[in-house]
Amino acid sequence: MIAQALMDGLIAGAMIGLGAIGITLTYSILRFANFAHGELISWGAYLALAASGALGYLSGSLTSSIGPFSFGWSLPLAAALAIVLTGVVALVSDALLFGRLRAKGGSIIIMVMASFGAALTLRSLLEFIFTSKPVYYTSALQIALPLGGGMKATPDQLLTLGISAVLVVAIHLLLTRTAIGRSMRAVSENQQLSGIVGIDVRKVIRMVWLLGAGLACVAGIMAGLLVQIRPHMGHDLLLPLFAAAILGGIGSVPGAMLAGLIVGLSESLAVQFIGAEWRAAVAFVILVAVLLIHPKGLFGRVA
Amino acid sequence: MSVELIGYGAFFITIALTYAIMCLGLNVQWGQTGLFNVGVAGFVAVGAYVSAILTTPESPSHLGGFGLPIVIGWLGGTLAAALISFLIGALTIRLRADYLAIATFGVAVVVQLCALNLEPVTGGPFGIGFIPRPFSDLAGEPLAFSLLNLGVLIAVVIAVYLALERLVRSPWGRVLRAIREDETAALALGKNAVKFRLQAFAIGGGIMGLAGAVHAHFIGFVAPDNYVPILTFQVWAMLIVGGSGNNRGAILGAVLVWGVWTASAAAISVLFPPEQQARAAALQIVMIGVALCAVLLLRPRGLLGEVRVVSRHVAIPSQGIANAGKT
Amino acid sequence: MTAPALSTQALVAGYERDLPIVRGIDFSIDAGELVVVLGPNGAGKSTLVKAIAGLVPIHSGTVRLGDRDVTAVPAHEKIRQGLAFVPQTENIFTTLSIHENLLVAANILPTEARGRRIADLYRMFPDLAARPALKAGQLSGGQRQMLAVARALIVTPSVLILDEPSAGLSPKVATDIFRTLKAINETGVTILLVEQNVKAALAIAHRGVILVDGKLRHEGPATTLAGDPIVAELYLGAHRPAPVVSA
Repeated sequence: MIAQALMDGLIAGAMIGLGAIGITLTYSILRFANFAHGELISWGAYLALAASGALGYLSGSLTSSIGPFSFGWSLPLAAALAIVLTGVVALVSDALLFGRLRAKGGSIIIMVMASFGAALTLRSLLEFIFTSKPVYYTSALQIALPLGGGMKATPDQLLTLGISAVLVVAIHLLLTRTAIGRSMRAVSENQQLSGIVGIDVRKVIRMVWLLGAGLACVAGIMAGLLVQIRPHMGHDLLLPLFAAAILGGIGSVPGAMLAGLIVGLSESLAVQFIGAEWRAAVAFVILVAVLLIHPKGLFGRVA
Repeated sequence: MSVELIGYGAFFITIALTYAIMCLGLNVQWGQTGLFNVGVAGFVAVGAYVSAILTTPESPSHLGGFGLPIVIGWLGGTLAAALISFLIGALTIRLRADYLAIATFGVAVVVQLCALNLEPVTGGPFGIGFIPRPFSDLAGEPLAFSLLNLGVLIAVVIAVYLALERLVRSPWGRVLRAIREDETAALALGKNAVKFRLQAFAIGGGIMGLAGAVHAHFIGFVAPDNYVPILTFQVWAMLIVGGSGNNRGAILGAVLVWGVWTASAAAISVLFPPEQQARAAALQIVMIGVALCAVLLLRPRGLLGEVRVVSRHVAIPSQGIANAGKT
Repeated sequence: MTAPALSTQALVAGYERDLPIVRGIDFSIDAGELVVVLGPNGAGKSTLVKAIAGLVPIHSGTVRLGDRDVTAVPAHEKIRQGLAFVPQTENIFTTLSIHENLLVAANILPTEARGRRIADLYRMFPDLAARPALKAGQLSGGQRQMLAVARALIVTPSVLILDEPSAGLSPKVATDIFRTLKAINETGVTILLVEQNVKAALAIAHRGVILVDGKLRHEGPATTLAGDPIVAELYLGAHRPAPVVSA
């Protein structure tokens, strides 16, 4: 039983990790806790749903399952579109709200407050458009394959683990080996100095929004694929996401993923021992523990 | 007909005033001290549940049977909420402003979770009913009952308002303002900023608990669904619209926003068919969310607010400080 | 007559609209000069150079680079136009390595030129070349200043501005810094220097200007300024009326 809990925790942790990476990046560069990040996850899932549905309508062959997976080509294609569109949602929210508050010299607190308002707006908009009934990408059922050691996983779950691993490596390489990645790290440390050395800070900020939104979208599609899609899905992940971002240390991508896995595993193990209804409290306990013992987190720079 | 109208009006204002108390509490934390509490609903719930538990009769579905008087219930609720605020504040006040936000957000989530899951204590999803109401022996005469309860609420609001106004003008209040405006100078004068902020946070939280208790005793029951993020959002919207930092603004904002809220809810129930009500309610929240963001952008002072909402020392550097002020 | 390398006209600047710190300054530097800005604390020296660099809002007046008006040019564009600024504090990225600090600065150069320029700078600052993968946060104060200067030089600026480069450094290291700046100036880079270390700065400069209360009160060749009694007066009695300025 424990082994399976570990597997489930790993999978949940991978999704939390992806979301946490997005949060830690935007947090370290935009300097505020964005409560609307969870909604990017939800919007990503729903946009992919709509696109996938439209593609499936246009061509029935796109809905037939690829290999052992539960979805057809309509989903990956839709995902590519959804990632772009979620990025647009993020950029629009920055252009209309956060960027303007930044330009007026808004304090951190005003930004967080605005993100809270934006989150509620985005979430309720989803509820208005799609209603709060849970929906799914596909009705195809999957058999969990035995992996040895008492663990089982469906092909879909293994795919999400694989994609998460690839994305983490890709982002790490982006940040350490590319010019834009270096610029992001520079802006994350010192915005003013970045301007002096010739970095277009506004462009970097846009890139970070896109990156964070893209990751959130992927996390949302994964959660939608493995569990279900509902308007509150992102909001319910917000506490674990923040806990993971803070545990990992704000600004650290490997930290965010590692912490995400820790949070996922902790939740899964807690469910084994004290019951599923307390799952949401685990992230809070982790958060409190980090703030009490070592607020900088595992790999963080600033408290 | 007019009796019903008065009755309804009394009911409306009574509920609005319970929100006003929450706003006053939030104003101590935010307007006076600059602390950002994103879990208002949680502290309100603590006050409501504690008061309910202390005053309700024995019941198999939840903790109870203490049969204490209503006033003791309110006191208990206030103290419990103040205690929780103190603990959370002690944990996070030294840290970044948004860490406090995240922690309070977590508190609200956990409080709701406890309300839902600790069934023997809280009655689970069904909550606690039969909470004694003030002047309950007059329940047979609805108009008198409504007006007397309204009177109680007005009295509570005035009491809290006066107490807070005195607090603001007291030496304690002056130190708090000094810390908010220029912490370095205040520290140089030997004032322990953390201690003052913590006290303010606890007081504000306690007042929120009081609001929860009063509200619970007015409507007669508590349930986890009453204390969701929407509540936090409503209170924030009220404070922002009314003008934070200002106690009168808090009360005004509460009545105003509650008016807009109920009016739009009424419009929705009239305009939309029953099966679309849930969707329409979502649209209502969208509009209020947009309105809140608009107020933050265009007039963060709100209607009656102070000029400086937060000390200028907590501003983030605006990126690309261009010469001509353009970005 | 060629335009001066850098000049300001009636410049008024300050962090807040109603509180100008730089209160109407006209001055200019010719190409190849090394000019020092001196003055008592609070005179506005830092604010002046930060305003020129685009970090402090300019209320009125103009800044010219050569004959181009760069008043409204944002900070990250100024460096592309040849104006490099080294702030007093936080002038390197401590979480990036030495090499990455240089890469970031070199990014605005055309691709072919980047490697070459960085190699040039490593030749000029062998200390940095020794351990390029070292995190810049682990460098000593003097090495950090060197990195900051190297970073600024990557783009081959026409004008280099430094805000108190010797602040917080030991006398020996400060001397190294000044010697390096002199050498850089001799390669043709125009340098504007804000300094508290009057003697050492004037020793390498061509000219000095003295700021008091946001206004330019005195200027002259470095050699004569060092022994000029007016300088001491301005430093000690900042609020006395300005003496007649010698041409």
